[in-house]
Amino acid sequence: MSNKKLLLKTTNSFLVYAVMVLLIAAPVFYYICQWLYVYETDEVLLFHKGAFIKESHKNYSAADIAAWNKYNPNISIGPDMGLNNDSIVGEMLLEAVANDKEPFRILYAPIDINGKRYTYVEKRNLVEMEGMVFSIAAMFLIIIIILLTGIIWISKKTASKIWKPFYNTLNQIENFEIDKNNPLSFIPTGIDEFERLNKSLERLIEKNTAIYKSQREFIENAAHELQTPIALFQTKLDTLQQLDLDKEQSLLVGSLNKDVYRLNRLNKNLLLLSKIDNEIYVEQDSFVLNKYIEKHLDFFTEQAKSRNLKINIDFKENLIVKGNSTLTEVLINNLFLNAIRHNIKDGLINIILENNTLKFTNTGSEIPLTEQNIFNRFSKVNPSSQGNGLGLAIIKKICNISHWNIRYIFNNNLHIFEITF
Amino acid sequence: MKILIVEDEREIAQSIKEYFKTNGIQCETAENYDLALTKINNYDYDCILLDLMLPGGDGFDILKELKAKNKTEGVIIISAKENLETRLEGFNLGADDYLTKPFHLAELLVRMRALIRRKNFKGSNSIIFNEIVIDIFSKTVSVNDIKLDITKKELDLLLFLIGNENKVLSKSAIAEHLSGDMADMLDNHDFIYAHIKNLKKKLALAGGADYIKTVYGLGYKWENE
Repeated sequence: MSNKKLLLKTTNSFLVYAVMVLLIAAPVFYYICQWLYVYETDEVLLFHKGAFIKESHKNYSAADIAAWNKYNPNISIGPDMGLNNDSIVGEMLLEAVANDKEPFRILYAPIDINGKRYTYVEKRNLVEMEGMVFSIAAMFLIIIIILLTGIIWISKKTASKIWKPFYNTLNQIENFEIDKNNPLSFIPTGIDEFERLNKSLERLIEKNTAIYKSQREFIENAAHELQTPIALFQTKLDTLQQLDLDKEQSLLVGSLNKDVYRLNRLNKNLLLLSKIDNEIYVEQDSFVLNKYIEKHLDFFTEQAKSRNLKINIDFKENLIVKGNSTLTEVLINNLFLNAIRHNIKDGLINIILENNTLKFTNTGSEIPLTEQNIFNRFSKVNPSSQGNGLGLAIIKKICNISHWNIRYIFNNNLHIFEITF
Repeated sequence: MKILIVEDEREIAQSIKEYFKTNGIQCETAENYDLALTKINNYDYDCILLDLMLPGGDGFDILKELKAKNKTEGVIIISAKENLETRLEGFNLGADDYLTKPFHLAELLVRMRALIRRKNFKGSNSIIFNEIVIDIFSKTVSVNDIKLDITKKELDLLLFLIGNENKVLSKSAIAEHLSGDMADMLDNHDFIYAHIKNLKKKLALAGGADYIKTVYGLGYKWENE
């Protein structure tokens, strides 16, 4: 169902009503006019008859009647037709002047002249009246149309004025983002319902922003506070491993060292995420992306060696992008690490730069990742992997705030992360 | 050699102290701002390890005080704060190095030694360990006067091992040291094995003794036989 605009909707029902009234009223009005006219004509006919009788035409002789009939084309006194009551009929008769059949009203009435019964016949042409009915109906229509358009126009104008604060509120809500620092300011409306709407929205947003802020602060504070115990843990491990340990103890301390490394990395990633949230990295630069891929190529090549991975680089262009250079470096490093970490032995990594896009392609699990949640925090595909489930969340976040588009594709048993700048 | 550890976390200070003690480094500790200032004003140290967030004051003010008193101690900032601004401000105020918590004690020890070496520089800057001579400036290593063909990574590794003489070094400490800024991007720590192997081979070929001992399941140790 397509949504209509509020103002359109109210005027629409107005219009529908107006058209309906017009459609019904026009013929009804036409027939009423016609009926009235016929009624009036009949009255006139009866009135003429009454006048004829009253003006003592009852003393007319046969010769008078003949003369009357001669000079009155519309009234004729004929021999008795056997009527007892007046009767008026509508008939189409040939009109001599127009030489066409036209509607007439004809009165047949019994009258007595000189004690003898006659039939009084009077006809009246309805044609001039027909034209009048049409002009009256047309005028009536024009008045109704003017009235309706006026009403619609005025109601539209006042409605848009009345709803203006509503649209203002709507626009502000649409542009509101909880992670951005742009407080809302609703204009005073002077309308009770809108004031209530704005007040409740303000309260809702204020509350949510407060919750959001405290959560964000919580992550940041938690990460900060964790640094000290991790530091203590690390230094104590360093001290512990100087003692005379047997093989079993050595192994344990060795794996503890790995754990504390992971713990530290996880903590740093959480800090990084909250720093991005807190808009620490807002400076924008233009730079050649190729440089950032080459920068740590040696490092990642060395990391890839333990799995005997082959890294192919294919730069089809020098891609200049605009963004924060620190975050871009983090982004590239995380993509690189991701491609190594989730790879298979003797696997492959392709890095392609073309058509304003960067593609990291790697071999790995034969099952595609589920696209909906791979970029969520702590959504780990392989629970035993070294990753902490934040790498892709960081990648996604950096793409988001830099307005770059990231896509995951699984094709030919290859996992592809594609960023369009 | 005498150093001052300005650190409010007593257990960290204690760990550093113990770790350094066996390498002949005498440590004094100050756990708050005032105590740190008193000690700095009354004694001379070879090096100061400085935490930034202290009870009673800011670590940066201690740097300013040192500058004002024309003290020449080398300063390594050890802080949980990890951002460029803090780092740059530290260097601007006269700090010589910056190490983010958490860190490996081995890392702190080599950095401190490098700093003291730079401070006490008298014409030549070389490290001599029995038959091994490392020239820091020209980045060359000779064993029994035979110059080794050594990579930058291997030189780094050798300096790290010798700097932590007789200490058991975990693989992660070595891997993180060799990776520098990229230490957080390690997929595994096994790559150091190749570097250790190559370094051992090169030292042995030149007639050097086998100082590098493998500690089962844990790491390596540079041991003077």
